[in-house]
Amino acid sequence: MNKSKAKVAKAKTKKILNVLITYCILIIVAFVFFFPCLWLILASFSKSGSIYSFDGFFPKEYGLDAFKALFTDTVMYNYPKWFLNTLFIAVMSCVLGTLLTILTAYCMSRFRFKSRKAMMKTTLLLGMFPSFMGTIAVYLIMTQFNLINQQWGLILIYSAQAPMGYMVQKGFFDTIPYSIDEAARIDGASNFTVFVKFILPLSKPMLVYTALTSFTWPWSDFILPKMLLIDKDLYTVAVGLMSLGETEFARFAAGSIFIAIPIIVLYFCLVKYMINGMAAGAVKE
Amino acid sequence: MKKTLPALISHIALILALIVVMGILGIIASGAAAEGSEKFTGELERGVTLRILENDTAKEQGYLKELLDSFNAEYAEYGIKAVDANMDQYTDLETGGPYGYGPDVLYQANDALMKYVDGTRKHILPLPVEELDCYEYIDERAWDAYKVTIENQNFYCGVPVNIQQPLLYYRKDLLPADWENEWDDDKNGVPDIIENWSAMYRYSKQIRTESGGSKYGYMKSLNDGYFASGYFFSYGGYVFGGEDGKDTSDVGFSKNDGFKGAKIIRQLASVMNLECTEDTITKNSYSRMAQGAYFATMTTPDVYTMFIKEMVNAGYTEEYARENVVMKNVPKLPVSGDLEDESQGFKDMTVMGGVNGYAVSSYTKSPNAALAFVNFATSYKMIKLRSELLGISPARSDLADELGGLNSVINDNLNKGTIYVMPSVRALAQVWTPLQTYCEEFIRNGRSA
Amino acid sequence: MKGISAIKNFFKGLPQKIKGIPSRLSARFAGAKEILTQGNGKVTASMLVMGLGQLMYRQWVKGFMFLFIQIAFIAYFILTGATDLFGFFTLGTREGNAWYGIEGDNSVVMLIMGILAILILILYIAVYISNVKDVYRTQCAVDCLKKPLAFKSEISALLDKSFYKTALALPVIGVCVFSILPIVFMILIAFTNYGDNIVPPALVDWVGFANFGKILSLGQFAPTFFKIFGWNMLWAVLSTAINYFAGLGLALLLNKKCVKGKAIWRAFPILAYAIPGFITLLGFKFMFSYGGPINYYIQQAGGEAVGFLGLDAKWSARFIGLAVNAWISIPSTMLLATGILSNVNTDLYEAARVDGASAWKQFIKITLPYVLFATTPVLISQFIGNFNNFGIFYFLRGGLYVDGYFLASDTDLLINWLYNMSIDNNYYSIGAAISLVIFIITSVISLTVYVLSPSYKQEETFR
Repeated sequence: MNKSKAKVAKAKTKKILNVLITYCILIIVAFVFFFPCLWLILASFSKSGSIYSFDGFFPKEYGLDAFKALFTDTVMYNYPKWFLNTLFIAVMSCVLGTLLTILTAYCMSRFRFKSRKAMMKTTLLLGMFPSFMGTIAVYLIMTQFNLINQQWGLILIYSAQAPMGYMVQKGFFDTIPYSIDEAARIDGASNFTVFVKFILPLSKPMLVYTALTSFTWPWSDFILPKMLLIDKDLYTVAVGLMSLGETEFARFAAGSIFIAIPIIVLYFCLVKYMINGMAAGAVKE
Repeated sequence: MKKTLPALISHIALILALIVVMGILGIIASGAAAEGSEKFTGELERGVTLRILENDTAKEQGYLKELLDSFNAEYAEYGIKAVDANMDQYTDLETGGPYGYGPDVLYQANDALMKYVDGTRKHILPLPVEELDCYEYIDERAWDAYKVTIENQNFYCGVPVNIQQPLLYYRKDLLPADWENEWDDDKNGVPDIIENWSAMYRYSKQIRTESGGSKYGYMKSLNDGYFASGYFFSYGGYVFGGEDGKDTSDVGFSKNDGFKGAKIIRQLASVMNLECTEDTITKNSYSRMAQGAYFATMTTPDVYTMFIKEMVNAGYTEEYARENVVMKNVPKLPVSGDLEDESQGFKDMTVMGGVNGYAVSSYTKSPNAALAFVNFATSYKMIKLRSELLGISPARSDLADELGGLNSVINDNLNKGTIYVMPSVRALAQVWTPLQTYCEEFIRNGRSA
Repeated sequence: MKGISAIKNFFKGLPQKIKGIPSRLSARFAGAKEILTQGNGKVTASMLVMGLGQLMYRQWVKGFMFLFIQIAFIAYFILTGATDLFGFFTLGTREGNAWYGIEGDNSVVMLIMGILAILILILYIAVYISNVKDVYRTQCAVDCLKKPLAFKSEISALLDKSFYKTALALPVIGVCVFSILPIVFMILIAFTNYGDNIVPPALVDWVGFANFGKILSLGQFAPTFFKIFGWNMLWAVLSTAINYFAGLGLALLLNKKCVKGKAIWRAFPILAYAIPGFITLLGFKFMFSYGGPINYYIQQAGGEAVGFLGLDAKWSARFIGLAVNAWISIPSTMLLATGILSNVNTDLYEAARVDGASAWKQFIKITLPYVLFATTPVLISQFIGNFNNFGIFYFLRGGLYVDGYFLASDTDLLINWLYNMSIDNNYYSIGAAISLVIFIITSVISLTVYVLSPSYKQEETFR
């Protein structure tokens, strides 16, 4: 009796210890990830604007000046305009990119044609190329197509390059049983109908995942817009923020927070889909 | 059935023939060079829009708007309109220009502008500068910054607007209270601290010891090649060798007695902290000087307003700030090359400087209108307004003399050669990083030794 | 052992594969021969003019489509294509002089338009062949007394049997123009003298393998290359491992039954994920600088400021790079692992628990093999991503050249070095040559891993 009681008690303390340690680690992890973000948020509320008038991590005085300047002082740094530009480019590239990626992945998953394996290996290889040298070529192509200094030029590039990352989506389609297709085909549906009526509704998590990733890329990309957009009124937020003067750290921080917010909100609303999508895309049993 | 093969072959032959004929025609067409013509005919293009690239300060302080408005009013009759190009101030004409995405007129530093004219690069036009109103008022040395010699013929590809040189900034209210007795050996009514580097060094040391290491005297990012190179030049160092200073195979910062500059830099580093091997000081000097943590620093004249802004932030009135943040020509250096040895007296410090100016893009559709704009923008009236609004020191000597003070000092410096004008060579861009690394290394070695 | 035998099998299979090539080729030729000898007049017509045979079979849509393509191609070649194609070989013959308004040839543009012309020519040949094959197929069908496909079924085939052709057309064109073309361009640059003072308007020329010779013979390139390559490999392995296992660990931790409010705990890493990378990196750079907050506290505590990212801070800078990269990448790995873990068969754990296996044993025997198996492709792409991770050290420590390195610092990865050489110092052709070498190395490594990985092999067996 006593022995088993002691055993139970021991197991209980062990369990409590286990929980305690788990929470300790979690708190540390949360701190590590949260603190730099908190720092950025605090910095945006700094009154003086310069990061060199901080006491360590904390501004000496707090104020809303940075946010006010961000939206009102638009002569040199037209943040509201940049924000709208970025939103437009990201949304359009997201729509087109998702469409193309999903189509590519579906075809690669469901059809067996001659050049399929070759295409798969080629895309894998292409992904390995150190890419920024290619940006010189992209710039030259765009000058020939007269698409420099135009938002549509960027959208074109983002959506055209998106299908390169079809692998995850293909993995997902691989997991949808073939029996669904076959049943539908017996009923006389064409491949197009199967795709639209049966497969797409089943791939909601994957659609969300694809849309999110193809939204965030243009949203925070810096190199391409920096190269292709010349007029300051066409800048995206990333390019604009980088052009801010060094003494404008608070404004930089405030601007960063505003471009992080939409992504954070999207992630929190869609985290379930994200997890399912990513997992399904990777798993092959 | 035997017809199939001939059909295939004739198809291939047709396509091949098409490609070969069109290809050869294309080569012939491109070979038939359309003879070029003189661009500056003196006849203004009508009904054109000029895109002007100015720097951010000009835009921020409202000078650009004034300039454009008055130009547009004057040239309205020709239908010429100048607008803000609205591009990054450091935009490289070479990337966008040839494809038609560059500005028509651009204002940049001489090294930035002249790298557009190098070898086969001809992105900006040689200008008929003698025709400009400002020609006679601008010193030859300033023009030289824009001179390029091709086949023994001199071309001028830019029009000087203002001269840039590093200046000493200091807090007048942080001078020692009794400087008239203690720090004025030559009794000329000016504290030695801001007259020669030896005194500045001693005073910095004193501040640092007295404050227990929380306050500094002279502070500057010493790895910044633009400012550090002055110490080398003062003892005979140079950037590039050769007659015209453009022989890039001969980099000579430490040549002649230039190496003495390294010792001075080391000594100055000893009164600072390790931040002097980073660019932190350059960025934080505005606020640190406002807080009284730094007594003095060295930087270009165009950032004066930054210091005032930070002083106001730190709780001073603007009037007080303007009175106590002072810009001054750089102090003198000891002839001996050792800050602790004043026995041989002092000599002027040579600093790296530059001449900012206007240039006309080779890809402009309306070169004559662009030239008219440059002429207008470098007129007495506009340059005067520019120096009032932006605090630049004009390259026009008539204005510099009229404004006096630092402006004429800077003009004199250029004349007597204590401004080492940045060589207008493309390879200059490749000098900064190694120079920075070199400075960092000997500062560190000096500290640990 | 398993891996070794897999490699053995791969090489064992190789001779057979090579032997198979002639027979496969001859099969192709046989097909071509058949069309050439058996084709009727309508096939001949299509061979002469694309689509003509189809029109003769009254397949209007297909016929006009092919005809249209033929006309479009010819128009393209007359307008610019032929000139572009020739330009590819000459790379320009007339040097421009903007001072006198002489418009010259832009070699680089000519190179890229030349590549485009070649791509279009290849596309033309492909369309031409499929045109001939198509009409021959119709001929066979008619010979077998079937009706040629009618208009309606022609259309519906595009949405059904050959749906993939319709759907893949746009993505393939996009990828060709914006991904393949730039890479081909870059590979070809390695064989020209583009760079230094030879940039447009100067004329660029083909130089063969001269750049590769320069890399080997000029002493400055090789030592730097090997030093950086060593660190680059170490970096790629370490950072991939750290991110992977830390992400997995975090997911396991959050998966524990005792953890309440998982959504909230998960929120913190996602927060880090949502902030754009360049902002994070600039923030961290400042945090570790001399004037930054960390040194502020060190100095407050009476210590001497530390140059975490300074000139001689080799290992501390490398370590910070790893940590920052982890901070940025762990959240996405965590999300991925969370999803995968939710798919693990729970019966296995039940069985293991009944057998009295410890938690650690369960992890090693069940979780890890499963997760590793499921994520091999992701792991490879993460490895490559880290191998070519440009941003981290560009933002943290850009613009430093260290002694003993040619135009690079001791934290720079190969891609940073390439950037320094080509973008900052104009060594375009040498940079391209080096990136070609890097590409060959990385692609061999990862392609081998990929082909050997269970997820690739079992692609067909699955379902």
